[in-house]
Order: sequence, then structure tokens, then C-alpha cells
Amino acid sequence: MFWLLLFLPLQALGAVDKAFGVSSDLLSKYVPSKSNTWNCLDGSKQIPWDFVNDDFCDCPDGSDEPGTGACRNQSFYCQNVGHIGSFIPNSRVKDGLCEPNCCDGSDERPGVCRNTCEEVGLAYKKQIEAEMKLRKTGSKIRAKYIAFAHKEKKRLEDIIQTFAAEIAVRTKEVARIRDIAERAESLSASALELKQQSPLYTSLITHSNALKSLQREHKKHLQREKELSDVLDSLRTGYNPNYQDMAVLEAVRGWEELAGLPHINDVRKDSVSDEEAGLDEDWDSDGLEITEDVEDEMWTAEDLENDLDDLLNQDYISLLLEHDEYVQASSESSILFDVASYLPDSVIPKYEEFKETLVSWLVSLGVIKGEAPSSADTSRSRQALTNAENELNKVVKEKEDAENELKEIFNIHGYGMEGEWKKLDGTCLRTDVGDYTYEVCLFGEAKQIPIKSGSSFTLGKFASWNPSPDVKPGDEEYYKKQVYNRGHRCWNGPERNVVLLLSCGTENVLTSVVELEKCEYQFTGTTPALCLPLDDADIKSKDEL
Amino acid sequence: MRSGVIFGVLAALLAFPDALALKANDFKTCSKSGFCRRGRALSARAQEAQASWKSPYSLDPSSVSISPDEATVKASVKSSLYPDIKFGLELRIHDDGVVRVIMDEVDGLRKRYDEAAEWALVAEPKMSKTISWTAGKKDLRAVYGEKKNIQIVVSYDPLRVTLLRNGKEQIVLNGRGLLHMEHFRSKTVKETSEEVASDSSGEGQEVLQVENVRAWFEGESEDDWWEETFSSWTDSKPKGPESLSLDISFPNHGNVYGIPQHATNLSLPSTTGDDAPYSDPYRLYNADVFEYLASSSMSLYGSIPVMHAHSADSTVGVFNAVGSETWIDISYPTKKSTHTHWISESGIMDVFLLPGPTPEQIFTQYARLTGTTALPPHWSLGYHQCRWNYVSSDDVRTVQRRFDEEDMPVDVFWLDIEYAEDHKYFIWDSKTFPDPVKMTDDVAAIGRKMVVIVDPHLKRTDSYPIYKEASDMDILVKPKSGEGEYEGWCWSGSSSWIDHFNPASWDWWISKFKTNKIDTGFSWTQSTEDIHIWNDMNEPSIFNGPEITMPKDSIHYGGWEHRDVHNINGMLFHDNTAQAIRFRGDVPKRPFVLTRSFYAGSQRISAMWTGDNLGTWEHMAVGIKMVLANGIAGMTFAGADVGGFFGNPEPEMLIRWYQVGIFSPFFRAHAHIDTNDANLSCWRSPTKALENSVTGLPIVRPHYVMFPKDPVGFAIDDQFFIGSSGILVKPITEKEITETTVYLPDDQVYYDYFTHYAYRGSSQGNYVTVRAELHQIPVFIRGGSILPTRERPRRSSPLMKHDPFTLRVALSKSGTARGELYLDDGVTYSHQQGELVWREFVAEPSAKTTRISSKDLASANPSQTVDGVMLETYNPKNAFVKEIEEVRVEKVVVLGLSNKPKSVKVENGAELYWEYIPGVPASDKKEGTSSVLHIKDPKVIVTEDWAIVIS
Repeated sequence: MFWLLLFLPLQALGAVDKAFGVSSDLLSKYVPSKSNTWNCLDGSKQIPWDFVNDDFCDCPDGSDEPGTGACRNQSFYCQNVGHIGSFIPNSRVKDGLCEPNCCDGSDERPGVCRNTCEEVGLAYKKQIEAEMKLRKTGSKIRAKYIAFAHKEKKRLEDIIQTFAAEIAVRTKEVARIRDIAERAESLSASALELKQQSPLYTSLITHSNALKSLQREHKKHLQREKELSDVLDSLRTGYNPNYQDMAVLEAVRGWEELAGLPHINDVRKDSVSDEEAGLDEDWDSDGLEITEDVEDEMWTAEDLENDLDDLLNQDYISLLLEHDEYVQASSESSILFDVASYLPDSVIPKYEEFKETLVSWLVSLGVIKGEAPSSADTSRSRQALTNAENELNKVVKEKEDAENELKEIFNIHGYGMEGEWKKLDGTCLRTDVGDYTYEVCLFGEAKQIPIKSGSSFTLGKFASWNPSPDVKPGDEEYYKKQVYNRGHRCWNGPERNVVLLLSCGTENVLTSVVELEKCEYQFTGTTPALCLPLDDADIKSKDEL
Repeated sequence: MRSGVIFGVLAALLAFPDALALKANDFKTCSKSGFCRRGRALSARAQEAQASWKSPYSLDPSSVSISPDEATVKASVKSSLYPDIKFGLELRIHDDGVVRVIMDEVDGLRKRYDEAAEWALVAEPKMSKTISWTAGKKDLRAVYGEKKNIQIVVSYDPLRVTLLRNGKEQIVLNGRGLLHMEHFRSKTVKETSEEVASDSSGEGQEVLQVENVRAWFEGESEDDWWEETFSSWTDSKPKGPESLSLDISFPNHGNVYGIPQHATNLSLPSTTGDDAPYSDPYRLYNADVFEYLASSSMSLYGSIPVMHAHSADSTVGVFNAVGSETWIDISYPTKKSTHTHWISESGIMDVFLLPGPTPEQIFTQYARLTGTTALPPHWSLGYHQCRWNYVSSDDVRTVQRRFDEEDMPVDVFWLDIEYAEDHKYFIWDSKTFPDPVKMTDDVAAIGRKMVVIVDPHLKRTDSYPIYKEASDMDILVKPKSGEGEYEGWCWSGSSSWIDHFNPASWDWWISKFKTNKIDTGFSWTQSTEDIHIWNDMNEPSIFNGPEITMPKDSIHYGGWEHRDVHNINGMLFHDNTAQAIRFRGDVPKRPFVLTRSFYAGSQRISAMWTGDNLGTWEHMAVGIKMVLANGIAGMTFAGADVGGFFGNPEPEMLIRWYQVGIFSPFFRAHAHIDTNDANLSCWRSPTKALENSVTGLPIVRPHYVMFPKDPVGFAIDDQFFIGSSGILVKPITEKEITETTVYLPDDQVYYDYFTHYAYRGSSQGNYVTVRAELHQIPVFIRGGSILPTRERPRRSSPLMKHDPFTLRVALSKSGTARGELYLDDGVTYSHQQGELVWREFVAEPSAKTTRISSKDLASANPSQTVDGVMLETYNPKNAFVKEIEEVRVEKVVVLGLSNKPKSVKVENGAELYWEYIPGVPASDKKEGTSSVLHIKDPKVIVTEDWAIVIS
């Protein structure tokens, strides 16, 4: 150390310009050999010591010109005594402009730039202090977020426990009902098989299948129609009516006529934009409706939408059996065996249990004639089984969801190691820029919403935190960037996407929205979730300023 | 332009490509245009009649009068069809041999439009003082030229004008008898009675017989004489038929070039005759063609009626000063001759015959007529970053920050129409651009500029001061009634257009751009001198007008119809804007105005781009040809949008397109890629712009201009030379190319710019195969060139001002080389006071040494002009020289030396440090990597005389 201290000033006397622009950690490399030569830092070439910083690029790696702009793509180090040293690209050395990052003015010829390090340092210190204050305040809110996450964790764990208990009960229940159903089915299997060959039944199944297929196709068409009408509505509100493009104009006119909308030009001219907005919301329920006379027995569109599923979910086997009974009009079977038909579904399992017991008693007592349980009972009991299983599955699913949610809370790729982001799930940040409101719902969707009228665009859905391979998941940097992608495709361009850049702040707000490239948006905002508590190192480095 | 924004909502409609394609039905074909149809029918009748066809026009020998200075001759012309109608013919011979041929109707019912040349010409041409006309029995002749080998002959009957060189016909007017000037007449109701009569008998036939006297020439019917309907528009044609048909033949020239703007080959494909690639004539009618085709004779945004005809023997040119819609049929009766037929809707005949005989002389002759390109601001030669839309001033700042973070150079950021509130140009949208001056200052802090759009349509609302003032001053274009204001639709909705033909509009328009407050109304205080202007939509583009433009019967200043001035209209707008930018501050500064529409003369002060091209390989390729063709017609500061305006080019295409753009005089990209390679753009120096300003020669030059005697090069338009720098470029415009063939036209060595590999041309021309991977552009330095470059990357080009130069000395076969360097402050007009640096670098071999020297070209050429100003006042110690007195040459690279030098010294100085890599010498016949001598930092000063001696 002592040697270095002694040596450096001597060096500095002889060749201060040779180490110009060199950062302190490389300073020791910028000394001549005994034969007054110097090796390029990559070792590729030996050059005379005089060639270092002589404003001519000699080394293939550019290392001989740390203090000039002679070599490409080099970094120039400003000492910035009184502030913090910093690197600038050497393309800015002696370009006539004073670099803000070089407060000592060393990037330009002497006399061009004033040394502002003292004031810059002071301002920087103030800024750091302000930032720390912000962080301090923010970190308190962040602590609350973390507490919330823990509370959520507790809540979810409790729910999971409750679900687990319920699952245990329901599993037992299902097992019991299944036992009943299986017994009923085994008794009637062969009889049922025969009945199922009934032409009426097979035809019914065919009808049912056809109807299901029709429903599926119908839904597809509805979906397509919805998409097309969205597209056309966007066209209608977005196209430039001034532009003389007959194809577009005809498309818009045709659509307006079909959808029963007023001509967009009239709407715009009269500037009834509010009405317009109202229309936009209402039109797909009203506009597209084509009133038709519906025959009495025909289903209305509403019926189709609401009741078709129920119809198709019917148990055709029970229908078949009921039909049989209806045709045979059997008087033999006692009311006892048919009671189930009149009971509400919820009672059936109990009833079945009860009936079984009762019947076995009565049979054993010779009061009634024992016979195989009717097929209606079989399908009823299977229905009961299905219901019970559905209930069970529902709870299992709910438990799984809760478990997944629990996993995400403290997942570094999810709500963060400390769960600090959990609180913000679904929090929507908005800002107005020009004629649009930009909105991002964290972990959800980003949108561009016109303030006056017109349709909204999805700019993207949450995809990931900072995907850069240079950033380690879980690091602070990782949470400073979110990516929302696969938004609506741009005209003649790519799908829209958003990069959300976040920094520490006491509020969850969007501060700016810019479109860096066609369809690539950059949102910036602040959130307390990024205000890490101050640690000793932070405080120390501040004091060092 | 920004149709893209408007149609953005069609994103999902990719299934309907037709919705995005050109609307061909929006534009007329010849058959839908009355006068073009009549012109073509006339040509067809002549074709059919063959030898029996004789032009009805003849000159009356008794009327010939020769002016006292003898350069001008006047005579009466008659048409045998209409013996009562008088025409006057006038020929003027300029002092450079250009012949101006004027014909007009005399004492007609009305006056034909005769002001087109006034707008196009830079000054009144000087008449020759050495000409003498001789009037003979059959013709009128004049012989002139240094060798007395040029002859102009006016034959009396039929009328025919012929320019000959060495007895060989160069240009012939009315050689095919298609000349027809439709005289003004009164509309009669005769024809209806005729039609009735012709169905009956007797007297009707008599009438028909009378008509038939002219039918052999004019046709049977009055085809669209008094009214013309296209789609839903009707042109009222109150003046009736007034078209001009003129055939111009080049009996000894087999290639014609020019008449931009068309998306087609440089050597113009034929439009009539066997196997003509196009069925319609080339049309000149400035039009906003949405998504134009990559190969078509359709008209586009600008029109320059200039044509070169070329052969290995000579080059001649024609400038037809007409401002109305014009159609030009081209056919090649033989491989060595060309027929053209020009059909214009209105105006006098005013044709300039440029005798050449070299392409260079044609450029000089044309430049003397319409002017050269003023030296543009240097930054405008840099890289322009544009995008369909920057949404806010924050957006601009963020993009600038990102460029700086990536250390990518950029000179200009552009703002399209969305900056303006309700498209009221000048008026910033305060929601998105709350601080335009601050924003501009932030951009300018890094030496950059902003270019902001100002379109010619004015929103018709009294709250818009520009419209209000123009309306109050009564300087707006009028509707056909001649009263009130013409109203049309454009971006701004209901709009009107300033009539820039009205002199009252000029000073007023100029005052609108003042950045300080003025007493007389609005001025653009929300701007700074770092804002320059983009004039778009100035054809003018009018959404609800016929062919997306102004109705032809609209009325301009002086009562002229829009039909008379349509093609000139766009030029007056950008010209006045450029004047405004030039004079808005205390010190005049060089304006940058980009225009979409242009006419002959537009080159003087503005740059153009090829409009809204598509992001396709075809458009990339045709863009090069279009820029070359514009250069032929003087419009040299030109470029095509890199990446295309429409479409989303794939990365490979974008990279290739950048490689094209870097070599265009105007370089603007809509997208951007990481091309942080100053190697590519460092040569974009003002030296080439100077050359144009001195000689009128285009910046990018096709083969026939550089090697006029080499027929192989006549049709080459996919490789070109940059100025006289010796740089040859063959951009790659196809997908997945790894190598290409380059034509080397002469017996000279061509060095690969990047690898220094020496290729050999030959006197018969030679094709060489070169590598062209995605990262490689085939760029060559021709042996014999010295190329000065600045190779230090900077954020913007003005920041390079004090950077040192590198000289690339590419030795010729005989060991010589030459290059020039021009520098000035790049912004003001101080160069017109001689504040400039103009150097010549020469490498000369002598016994066993090569001497590279620098000398002052400006001092050596006191009679030369720079930007129109003589160099007499040049002082080698001028203020600009002082300003850059420390700028040195940091490196000299010599390619093609025969042997390793023994010593390299600055003359009378110490030995320099140098490195020699052995290789193929220039004088060799072999291909291979050339020898390279790197001379380290000779420390010679650019502004001083010096010499480096290699022994």
C-alpha cells in the first residue's frame, strides 16, 4: 500500500495523460514495461508506451485509448472528485457537449465544461436522502403488504384444512352411495341392456347427439359473430370517414344497416359522443336482435340459451325407464318403490337408505314380495352418486386452488419471496395520456381505453416478471419490470405488448406511458412493494456521500 | 401518409388483403381520360395511315422573323384543318445550345396557360450571341456549337423541328405528325342536330361530309370535349378541348430515362408496340396513390417532365414545361430508336431540347434551366428516425433516451400529424405535447433536430388562425364558380387550401413560421429554429375529390383552372415553406423541407421521398430505381422510407433495407434496428451534395451516366455509383441471398470496401461474384479514388465537427488516385461568403515513390460557383477554416501498392509509423486481397496543404 501511494504520484507526474479516462481498478494496468512498451489489455498486441492515449486506435480491443474517442465502443471513466466516479461511452468524449455524468468536465477539452461535482454531489446526496425517506415510508406500507400475505397464508391454510375435513366426510359419503348404486346397477344391468335397444331410445340418443352438435356449432357461430361484430364496430368507430376508400365505407355502411346503428359520420358531426358510447355498449343486445315471429311451441332464443343445456343433461336412461313404466302402466309396483319419483333430490339418498332397510325388513317379514329394484331406482341412485361426486370434486378443486394460491404467495416468480405483491393482485393503475386512459391491472391485463368513444384495446396480459437472462429471479431488479404480452394485434403490425417498469413509491400509480416502438408500450409507475427496508449498508453508503 | 393510423382498426382483417391493396379504380386510365383517349386515337389513326399520314400543321415561310441578336426566330403556323385559327411558333437558342421551342394559339378565343416554365426556371435563360438563322425555301436552319456540328432545322410543311449532331438526327418534334394543339372554340349545339340528322337523310349527310374533312385526323366525335365524368365526379370543362399532343422522337437513341415519378425500371419500358410491358402511357398527374404498385406506369406523387435519351454515341434531353396532366407513350421501333408521344390536357407547347452530348452536359444544361440543389443542412444528410406516430413529448424524449442508452446515432426525430390539435397544423395538442419548445430544446441539446409535419389542408374553423387569416385575405383556392372558398375533406375534416399561386400568400405564409411574435397575426411562437418541416399531402390530396385530389375546374389566382397548374401546385407549397424556414430567424439558415409532391424546380430547395411505400422486397428494389430516376430529373435529394410505410417487415428485410437506405441521399426509417455502425454512414458527407450544387449531377448515379459508352450498363438500375467518389454499391433486395453478381464496367480495379479484396473490371465489362451475407453489402471503391471519412461514432452528425478524418486511397491500375472534401458550417449561408473548405487529395506515382498531397481546390477555382456563388471572394484563412483548424487526418489507408515501402514521411518531416500488409497490387491482373498500407496519424491538418511521400 505504502509503495502504491508513493508510486502513483510519481506516475502521475510523468504520464498523467496516459491513465486519463481509466477507472481506478484498472489504473495499475496502465504502466509501461521496462522497455517502455505496453500490452493491449487483451494481450493481442504490444505497442510503444507512447501510443497509449495518443488519440489513435492501435489495439484491436481498443484498450490503448481509454481517454479519447479514437477506439470504438470504449468506456471513459470520469473521476468526478467530490462526487461519484462514472463511466460514459467514449463516443461522448470531446463531442463538444458536457456530459451530465461527468461533473468534473473531464470528457471535454479543458475549459469547455465547468466542474460541477460539488453541487452535483450535494444534489445527489439530497436526492439519495429523499429516496431513502421515500423508501422508509414505502417500506412501512410494504411491511403491511407482507403482513397481508401472511394473513392470506393463514386464511388459505385454514380454508385448506376446512376443505380437507369436508373432503374426508364427502369421500365417505360418495363411497357409501356408490355402493348402493352399484348394487342397484348389478341387479338390473341385463334388463337395462335390453331396454336400451328400444328404437325409441336409440333414436332419442341420436337426436340428443345431433342437438348437442348443433348447439356446439351454434356457439361457434355466436362466437364468430361476436368477433366479427367487434371487428366491424372497431372499423366503424376507427376508420377515417374522410378517406375516400369505398370498400371501407361500404363495409361500415353495411354493418350499420345490419346492426341498426346510426351512421358514424352523423354521430360524429352531431358530436353526441355520449350517446354513441351508450350505443356501443347496448348494441349487441339490441342492435343485432332480429325480431321474428316465434311459433308457440318453438323455443325462443332465450329458451335456447337457458334451457337447452338442461334438456341435454337429462338422464336418458331414467327417461327410458319412466317411459316403459308409463307404457306398461304397471299397477303391481307399489307406491313404495316409486316414492323416489316424488321426493326432492336432496332427500333421495336418505330415502334410498331408508327404503332399502324398510324393504329388506318387509321382505324378510313376508309383507311384500321381494323383487329386483326397478331400473328407475338404479338411475336415481346413480344420479345421487354423480351429485355427490360433483360436490366432492368441487371441494377438491377449491382446495387445490387455495393450495396453488398459497404456493404463489411466497413464490419468487409469483407474489415474491416475502409475498409483498399478493396485496396488489388485481390492483388497477390508470393514467390518462392524450385521448386515452391507460390501465394495467397487476397480474391481470393492460388496456388502452379511449376517453371519448371507441373501442378499448387489450395491450397485453400478465406474462412474467423481468424476463432478461441477466436478471436473477428474486432479485430486486427482477421485480422492477413486468411484461404483459399477447394484446390485440396492431394494424399491419405485431401484437401489442407492455413493459411495466416499477420503482419504489408510497403509492401505487402509473407515472407515464410511452410507445417506444410501434405497438410496444412502456408504462412506468411506482409501488410501495418495491420499497425495501433500509439496511445498514444503505445507511452507511449514504453517510459516505 | 398516415392512413396507417386510420386503418389501424383493421388489424384483425388480415383475411381481407384486398382491403389493403391499391384502389386502381380510384385513378383514371388513359381510356377514362378524354384528352388522353383522343391523343391515343390520333396516334392509332396515324399508325394505320402509315406513309399517307401527313401532319396538318405547317409554317408560313413569309412570316418568319429573326430577332436582331439572331438567337430567336418567330413564325406563324397554320393547321390545314382549321385555316382560320392562328398559331405562333418561336425558337430560342440559349448560350449553352439548349433550344426552346414555343408554340401557342394566337388571338384565340381564350389564352392557353403559359406560366409553367416561369415556375420551373431558376432564371431567365441567356440567349446565344453567336447564332445565325438561315431561312431557306423548305426550312429554317441554324448551325452552332464549338465544332459547328449542331444543327437545328425547322421544316415548313409539314411542320417539324429537328436537332442534329454531326448530321445525325437527335431529337425530332412532330416527325410522326402527331402534333395537335386543340384550339379554343365556342360550345355549339350543332352536334345534337347532327346526330338527329345523320339518322335521317338528305341534308344530314351534307353536314356529315363537312365534318369528315377533319375526321381523318381528329376522329368522328367530339369525345368528352365539354364535360367529363369519372366515377361520381363531373369535370365541367368550361374552356372545352384544349389539349396538346406532341410526338418527340429519338431516331438514334435506344434508351430513355426520367419523367419521374413512376415505380418502374430506370430504362423506361415501352407502353405501346409489340410486347409493351405497360398498356397505359406513363402518366404525370400528382396523386396520392394509396399503396402503389411496385411496377406500373401510373402516376405518383410528383411529376418532372424531363427525359434523357441515350446511346453510346450521345445523350440528349427534353424538358417539356407543362403543368397540366400529361400522358407519355413510349415505344421502341428498333433497338436503337425511340418514339415518344406526349399528350397534355392544357397549356402552350414549351419544350426545351437539351443537346448534350454527354449525360454530364445534359445535367448541366438542365441545371442551368431549373437550378441545382442548394446545399442542404448537413444534419439532414444523417439518419432520420420516423415512426407512424410519437404519441407525446414524453414519447419523443424516451425514444431519444433509448437511442443514447444504446449509443446509436440519430440526427432527426419526426412528428406526424397527430401532434396537431384536430389536425390544425402549427397548433400543438396541449394534452400530449404540453411543452413543444422544451421538448425541441431537449432534442437539440444533443445536436439533433425535429421535423414536424405541416400539410396544406386548413381546417375550416374560425378558431384556427391560419385558416381565418387566409380566408380574410382571400388567398384560398376557389371553387369552379370562381367565388368563395373551395371546400374539400382531408385529415382535418372540412378543409380549404391556400392558393400559393397568389403572390399575396407568399409573405404571409413565410411570416407564419416566425418563432417570435409578429404584429400581423399568428406566428409559430411554439416552435424553435431546430424544427424543420415535412410537407405531405401537397398533390394536393383531397379525400373526397376526383382521383383523391382537387377538382380540375377549381380556380386559382389569375383565373387559371386547377387543371392548368396541378402538377406545379405541390412545388409552390414546399418552396414557400422552405423560404419561410430559411428566413424565420435573424440569421438565414438552410432549410430542410421534405415534400411528397414535386415538379421541375423542386430540387432547388427541398428533399423528397417516394411516399407511402409497402414493406415488401419489390418495393425495396423499385425504391432504388425511383431514387435514380428522380436524380435523372434533377431531384437528387431523395430517398425511400426504409422498411416501408405499410407493413411489418421481417428482420432480414429490414436489415437489407437499412443497407439500401444508407446509400440513399435521404435516409429515413420508420422502424429502427441496431445499426450502430458508423462505418456505413460515415461517408454521408456534404461533398456529394456540393457536387450536385456545382454540376447538377445527381448524388446517386446510374451506370449510363458514369460510363455512357458502355451499352451493357444502359439498363442497369440495381447498382449505382455515389457521386464521383468512386463508390459503387449493389444493394441486396432479395430474400436469403448469400452472394450476388456485380457488373464492373471498365478496365479498373474495384476494392471491396470492407475486405479490401481487389476485383477486376475489363474494357468489355466484367461480371464478378461477391459474397453478400446478411451482414455484408457489396460496396466497392473504384481504383483511382480517395475517400475521406470520419469514423468516430457520435450521437449526431453535428457532434463530429472536430473529429479527425481517415483517407482511403484506392490506387488505380496506374497507381494514381484522386478525391475531394467539402466542408462548411453546415447550417448557415456563410459558405456563400467563402467560409468553406474545399480540398483536393491526389495520389501520384513517380519513380519509386507515391506522393499523396492535399491542395486547396477553392483557391484554384475562383471562377467556380458554390451554391450559386462565385468563389472569387474565397479566402483560405476564412473564419470557418479557423474554426476547424485543429482537425487533422488521423489515418491514411493506401490500397494496392506494389511493394512494401521503405519509408513513409510527411514531406520534409520525420518518418511516420506505418504497417504494411502484403497483397495484390493495383497494377496486377489477379484478383485477391489487395496490399494495404496503414499510416498512423500523420498529424497533417485538413485545411492545410501537405504531402505524404511513400518511397
